[in-house]
Amino acid sequence: MNLKKIMDRVYEIDLVNASDEELMEINEEMGLALSLEEMKKMQAFFRELGRNPTDLEVHAIAQGWSEHCSYKSSKPVLRKYIFGIESKEAMIVMQDDAGVVEFDEDYAYAFKIESHNHPSAVEPYGGAATGVGGIIRDVLNMGAKPIALVDPLFFAPPDYGEKLNPGIKHPRYLLNGVVAGIRDYGNRVGIPTVAGITYFHEDYVNNILVNAGCLGIVRKDKIVRSRVDKEGVKLVMVGGRTGRDGIHGVNFASKILDEKSEEEKQAVQLGNPILKEPLIHLVLEANEMGIIYGMKDLGGGGLGSVVGEMCHAGGVGAEIHLDQVLLKEKDMAPWEIWVSESQERMLLAVEEENIDKLRDLCKKWDVEMSVIGETKKDENLRIFWKGRKILDMPLEFVMAGVEYERKYKIKRMKKMQEILPEPKYREVFLRLLSSYNIASKEWIIRQYDHEVQGRTVVKPMQGLIGYETHGDAAVIKPLHHSWKGLAVTTVANPHIAKINPYYGSLYTVDEAVRNLVSVGARPHAFSDGLNFGNPEEEEIMGEFFESCKGLGDAARALGIPYVSGNVSFYNEAFGKNIPPTVVLMAIGIINDIRKAVTADFKREGNIIYLVGETREEMGGSEYYRIMGAKSTVVPKVDLGETKNRSEEILRAMDESLVESCHDVSHGGLAVSLAEMALGGSIGAEIDLSPLGAMRDDFKLFSESPTRWVCEVREENTEKFEEIVKSRRIGVVGGETLKIRDGERWLFNVHLNIMRERWKNALKEYIG
Amino acid sequence: MKVAILQMEGTNCEEESYIAFKESGFEPEYLHINLLKKGMLEKYDMIFIPGGFSSGDYVRAGAIFAARLKAKVWNDLKRFVEEGKPVMGVCNGFQVLIELGLLPGTDGISEEPEAALATNESNRFECRWVYLKKSSDSIFSKHVDDVTTLPVAHAEGRFLADKKIIEKVEEQNQVVFRYVAPDGSKPDYPWNPNGSVNDIAALVNSYGNVFGIMPHPERAFFWYQHPDWNRVKREMGDGWQIFNSLFREIIEAKNR
Repeated sequence: MNLKKIMDRVYEIDLVNASDEELMEINEEMGLALSLEEMKKMQAFFRELGRNPTDLEVHAIAQGWSEHCSYKSSKPVLRKYIFGIESKEAMIVMQDDAGVVEFDEDYAYAFKIESHNHPSAVEPYGGAATGVGGIIRDVLNMGAKPIALVDPLFFAPPDYGEKLNPGIKHPRYLLNGVVAGIRDYGNRVGIPTVAGITYFHEDYVNNILVNAGCLGIVRKDKIVRSRVDKEGVKLVMVGGRTGRDGIHGVNFASKILDEKSEEEKQAVQLGNPILKEPLIHLVLEANEMGIIYGMKDLGGGGLGSVVGEMCHAGGVGAEIHLDQVLLKEKDMAPWEIWVSESQERMLLAVEEENIDKLRDLCKKWDVEMSVIGETKKDENLRIFWKGRKILDMPLEFVMAGVEYERKYKIKRMKKMQEILPEPKYREVFLRLLSSYNIASKEWIIRQYDHEVQGRTVVKPMQGLIGYETHGDAAVIKPLHHSWKGLAVTTVANPHIAKINPYYGSLYTVDEAVRNLVSVGARPHAFSDGLNFGNPEEEEIMGEFFESCKGLGDAARALGIPYVSGNVSFYNEAFGKNIPPTVVLMAIGIINDIRKAVTADFKREGNIIYLVGETREEMGGSEYYRIMGAKSTVVPKVDLGETKNRSEEILRAMDESLVESCHDVSHGGLAVSLAEMALGGSIGAEIDLSPLGAMRDDFKLFSESPTRWVCEVREENTEKFEEIVKSRRIGVVGGETLKIRDGERWLFNVHLNIMRERWKNALKEYIG
Repeated sequence: MKVAILQMEGTNCEEESYIAFKESGFEPEYLHINLLKKGMLEKYDMIFIPGGFSSGDYVRAGAIFAARLKAKVWNDLKRFVEEGKPVMGVCNGFQVLIELGLLPGTDGISEEPEAALATNESNRFECRWVYLKKSSDSIFSKHVDDVTTLPVAHAEGRFLADKKIIEKVEEQNQVVFRYVAPDGSKPDYPWNPNGSVNDIAALVNSYGNVFGIMPHPERAFFWYQHPDWNRVKREMGDGWQIFNSLFREIIEAKNR
C-alpha cells in the first residue's frame, strides 16, 4: 500500500494507480471489509476527480458502504416484502432510528429492536451492555422517553458438551456474561426490562445472538426527526467523549467470526449507563424547551454515519471540524475520530441562538458538549483538520453506497414425519417442563428491574406472589392520566424456521399476535430483528428471502406494519451458520389496562376452554426434539383464523368474561396448562376427548398455531361460548394437573413436582 | 409541605417518587446535587433521596452520593435532622442515609457509618415482591396496615451491623418494617430477599424523623402497580399508606 503523509496524522492513499491486487491489499490493511468491485467503484470515483483520497475519505466510504450501514444485501428483499404495509396510525416508518406509531390523540410511541451479536460473542458483558445502550439512544433520539426494554437471547444449550472451536467460549459463560451486561446497564439507567427470550439451539454455539429492543413514549408535537433540512444549523456532540473503542464495529459486524475475533476486542465499545442516565434527562429537557432541530445517536458507523445520514436525509451538506471533537485519547487520527463507535454520544442539530441554552443544560447535568460544525447549502461533505480540508465528497456518493440483488436458492425439505410408539405421558410431560426452552427463566428475569418507573401493570412473571409463571406479554401504562396501555412481547421460532423459513415467519407473526391477545391487547405494530448467516451463500440468502416473504405475507394479511427493524448477516463461524432467526418485537394497544388478563389460573371451579385447532404437525416441536424424532411437517398458519380467533377473544376480554389466558406454544397444550396452574398454584382436571380422534401425544404436545387456553367463570360460559369458537376441556381445582382422554387417564402430577422440574432445570446450570 | 427530591447522576426513581408525593398532598421539587448550595435546604420541609444507582454504585452503594452531600451541605443536613424535619430514603436512598451516618442513628447522628447494607445473600440483583410486617409505629408507619406488599429491586440490601448496634436498634424500637412469609411466619429466602439481619426492611433513627426502606413504596402507590391486582381489590397501593401516614402525621402535628 502506497501512502504519503500530507499533514499530522493524515495520509494520502495511492488508490488511483493501484492494481486489483493492490486494491485488495489496501482493503485488507485498512480493515475496510469491502469487495473488489466496491474497491474498484471507489477507485473510479477518485480517478474521475483526478486525485488520490486521504485515508479519512477511504474510511468514510467503507463505513457508508458496510452491510450494517447500507443494508446492501437485504434492501431489495426488504423493499419487496417488509416495507410499505399500510397503517393509518404508523407515523414514521423505516426512516429514522426508531419507528413511531400513534398511541392516542396527543401521544405516540417509538420502538425498535436491534442486534448486537458479534460484539457480544467476543465480549459478552460489554457487548450486551452496549447493545442495550445503543437501542435506548435510538428511541431517545426520536424525542421519546424510554419506558421499556426487551432482550431476546440465543445460545447453545447450557450443558453443551462437544469440543469448542478455538476462541469460542462455552455457552454458560456467554449466557452469564450477557445477562450480567444487560442487568448492569438496564438497571442502572432506570428503564424496566419487561420481556425477552432465552432460546437454546446447538447451532448458536459459534455465534450467539443478542438482540435488544426499546420502547418509548413521546408527545406528538415533540417528535424529533433524524434529519436537518436547513443550512446554518449547528451540529453539536453531547455526552461521552470519542475514543478508540468501537473502531470498525460495523465492519466487524459485517464479517464472519473466527479465531482472530478475540483480538478484535477493540471493535467492542464500552458502555457507561451513568453517563447515559443524565444524557437522557438532558435530551428530554432540551426537547421540552424546543431547542432541538434534529437529533441522531452515534451508534454503528459513528460520527461518519450520523452526520452523513442526518444531512443526506434533509438534502443539505455539512462542514465539520474534527479537531473540535472531544477525545478520550489525544493522539487519535482524524479517520479514527470519524469512525469511532464510542458509546453515550448524540449529535444534536441546534440553531445558533439556542446554543447557550443547551450549554446551561449541559452544565446542570454534567454532560460535555462541543460544536463540531454546521449544515451547508450544497450537498457536499467537507471535513477540516487543524484548518486544512481533508475530505470533500458529495454525500450522495458516500451514503447511497451499493446494493446487491444477491443470488438465492430455496431449499425444500421432503415432507416426512416419523411416528413414535406411544410414550409414557407423565415422563414426557415432566421432561418437557425441564427442557431448556420451556423451563423457568426466573433466574434471569428477576435480575432485571422490571418495576422501575412504576409503569409495569402486567409483569413479565404473572401469578400469586412467589409462585409466578411466565406471562405472554407485559403491559405498560405509559401515561399517568390515561388508562390506555401498551403490551410488549418478543417472539422467535428458529426450530421451525430451520425446517421451513417461510412457515417459520408465519408462525412467529401468529405467536406475536397470540401473546398480545393473551393479555387483552390488540396487535398494533412490529419491529423485525432479522438474524442470518452469510448472505454470500445462496442457501442463506434463500432463507432470508423466504423469511421476509413470510413476514410480509402474514403482517399484510393482518394489517400490522413493520415500522422499524434491523438486519444482521454474517452470523457464521467455523463454517457453521446460525438457523434463520427472525425476532419480532411486537406492540399491542389495550384501551383500558383494568381489563388486562394474566396467564395464571384464578379460582377453583372455573371452566377451561381451548381455542383453536390442534393438528398432527410436529416439525420443530419440543416434543419431537427431546424424543429425537424427525419431522419436516411444520405447523401451518391460517391467517384468517388468526384474525377471527383474536377478534373473538379480545371481544370476550372486553366484556370481562376471561379470568386467565395463555397461548399454546412450546411444549403444546400440556405445557400451557402446567404454566397456568403453576402461576395460580392451583390444579385442573382436563378431558381431551373434545379434541376428537387423534393420538394423545399429538393432542398434548402439538404446537399448532392460533391456539389459546382461556379460563372462564361458570356463570359466564354461555356468553363466552357465544363469542369465542372454542372447546370446553376442563375445570380449575385441586393440587394436581389431571389429564384424561375420555375414560383413559394420561397422567396426574402434583403442582410441587411440576414446579420443582420447571423451576430448577436451568438454575442448576446457570444459578 | 415542600419536599426536596434529591437527584444526581444515576438516581432513577425520582419521577414515580414525585408522583407519589404530589398525589399524597405534598409539594415535591427536584433538586439536583449540582445545583445544591449551602442554605438551600432550609426552604424545604422534607428531604427525599430516591432509589437508583447514584454515580453507578461502582464503589459501595450510596457512598459517593453521601460523600458529595457531606462535602456540600453536611452542616445544613445535620441541622435539618436536628430540627426534627423528616428525611426519607428508598433503596439507594436508604444506602445513602446509612453512609451519611443518619441511620441507624441510634444516638441521633453519627459522623461515621455504623451499619451497612451488604450484598444480598443470593449474591445478585433481584426484583421481586415481598411481604412486610409493621414492627413499630412512626410517622412513616402509623397509618400503615399490619401486613403490606411492596417490590424490592436491589443487589445490596442486607442490613448488617455489630451486635451492640442491632441490640440498640431493637431496644429503641427503630425497626419499622420486617420481611415476613405470606403466612406470617419467619421468612426464609425469597421472603427475606437479601438475608437481612432480624429480617429488617426499614428503619427509623432514634429521633423518629429519618427513615430508610429497601422496598419501593413509590412503585406500589396505585393499586394497579401491584402484581395481584386482578386477585386483590385495593383503593390505593400499599406504598401509598406510607406517604399518607407521613402526610397525616405532619398535618396533625401542625394542627396540635
